[in-house]
Amino acid sequence: MLPEELTEHLNSSLLPLLADTLEGTAVTDLERLSGGANNETWRLSWGNTPLILRRRPFSAGAVANLEGNILGLSLVDEAQVIQLASKTAVPVPTVYGVFDEHHAIGEAFLMGFIPGESIPQRWLNDANFAHARNKLAYQCGEALAHIHAIDCTNLPSSIGPTTLARRFEAAQTRLHAFGDVSPALQYGLNWLIDHAPAETPHVLLHGDFRTGNLLINDQGLAGVLDWELTHQGPPGEDLGYLCANVWRFGKLEKPVGGFGDYADLIAGYQSVAGWSPDLNSIRYWEIFAALSWGLVCQTMGALWKSGQGDVERAAVARRRSEAELDMLLLIDEWEDR
Amino acid sequence: MNHEDDAASAEVPVDGLLSAIQSFLIESAAPHLEGRNRFNARVAANALGIVQRELSMGPALRALDENAATQWLSTLETDATIAQRLSRALAKREIQDDPPFFNYLKQRQLLVTAINNPKYASRSIAEARWSSTVC
Repeated sequence: MLPEELTEHLNSSLLPLLADTLEGTAVTDLERLSGGANNETWRLSWGNTPLILRRRPFSAGAVANLEGNILGLSLVDEAQVIQLASKTAVPVPTVYGVFDEHHAIGEAFLMGFIPGESIPQRWLNDANFAHARNKLAYQCGEALAHIHAIDCTNLPSSIGPTTLARRFEAAQTRLHAFGDVSPALQYGLNWLIDHAPAETPHVLLHGDFRTGNLLINDQGLAGVLDWELTHQGPPGEDLGYLCANVWRFGKLEKPVGGFGDYADLIAGYQSVAGWSPDLNSIRYWEIFAALSWGLVCQTMGALWKSGQGDVERAAVARRRSEAELDMLLLIDEWEDR
Repeated sequence: MNHEDDAASAEVPVDGLLSAIQSFLIESAAPHLEGRNRFNARVAANALGIVQRELSMGPALRALDENAATQWLSTLETDATIAQRLSRALAKREIQDDPPFFNYLKQRQLLVTAINNPKYASRSIAEARWSSTVC
């Protein structure tokens, strides 16, 4: 959708919607933010209030016949989860409006703008964020423990209970559906099945809690973004995902997201949850996270082949080879111990 | 690639063309683009790097796969790639998970990442661990 057209639809929808909450009469400064191979992110102003619009630009129909949760929730359900999280100590933006796929704007939701840095290459390297980086692993542990305590009975029906066995089946279905092109991912899935931990009670997981989806200010964690992959699973899964190689942005010596150490993450989690996650479990889920990234890359390839998406999506499909490498490397290191 | 030799034959080889397109995208086109298009111009230039590397290393990858096919695949199938046939055999648990097969996957992955993303951080760790193993 062109910016002019989007502005027009936003103006007619937001005037009645925001009349009681925010001062303003029209959208100004509408700008598409770069990044995001899946959903569009737009920045705009309503009066003096900066806002963010998340919008799904394509029809999910192209991949809807596939099992699993890779493309994630509808934006309507994502907004509902953010609203649940906003009642906890987890920093999330205020949701101002939700639009379903039949709305002129398209499937989207409007939220407050939290000041902070999201671009990993900036806050992972800039000396001004050194203090924030030191506190961040502990804060991430705290935030994850708060998310995991959210009552699952209040979730949208799309976030149902599941089992590890069904997760494996879903992954296998996707590998088949994408043409069985990766012996490394298949080898990794076999290994994950053969080394599966005992089933433990599932909790609400963020599902995409990682460097790149966190907003950082000089005090550390300022916002947790991108809730579209929220699902139920064992707590260790979110912790392992945060520590996955692919989300360390090249800083492999810092296992927690390229900025922190396992001990701080575990201590932060323990301070809220009252129990300490096991490092072995975190390592197992790091391997699972590599498989998940490989499946996301394959989804991007499938979407591009169906005519949806630009050159970035085609290029992301090639990053599957990073996930494959990590699976083999982490399995190799695991077997070496 | 040695451009002086090519100049003597006046032939523009395919990776020379790719370099020319890459330079055009980065040096000529990108500075005149904005936002998403500027970003995508850089993505496109990087993707041409993948094309270049696949042209040079693709044959080694195919040779590695063909050797693997003789060792771990019993039937001849022409409508599927070796990678697909291996994947399906793995899914059916028809291939025994032993050190020679794991080594093949490791060597294959070093090549695949050398094509797609040679600068990926954990690749250098994997290369140090695996480059001494005999396939």
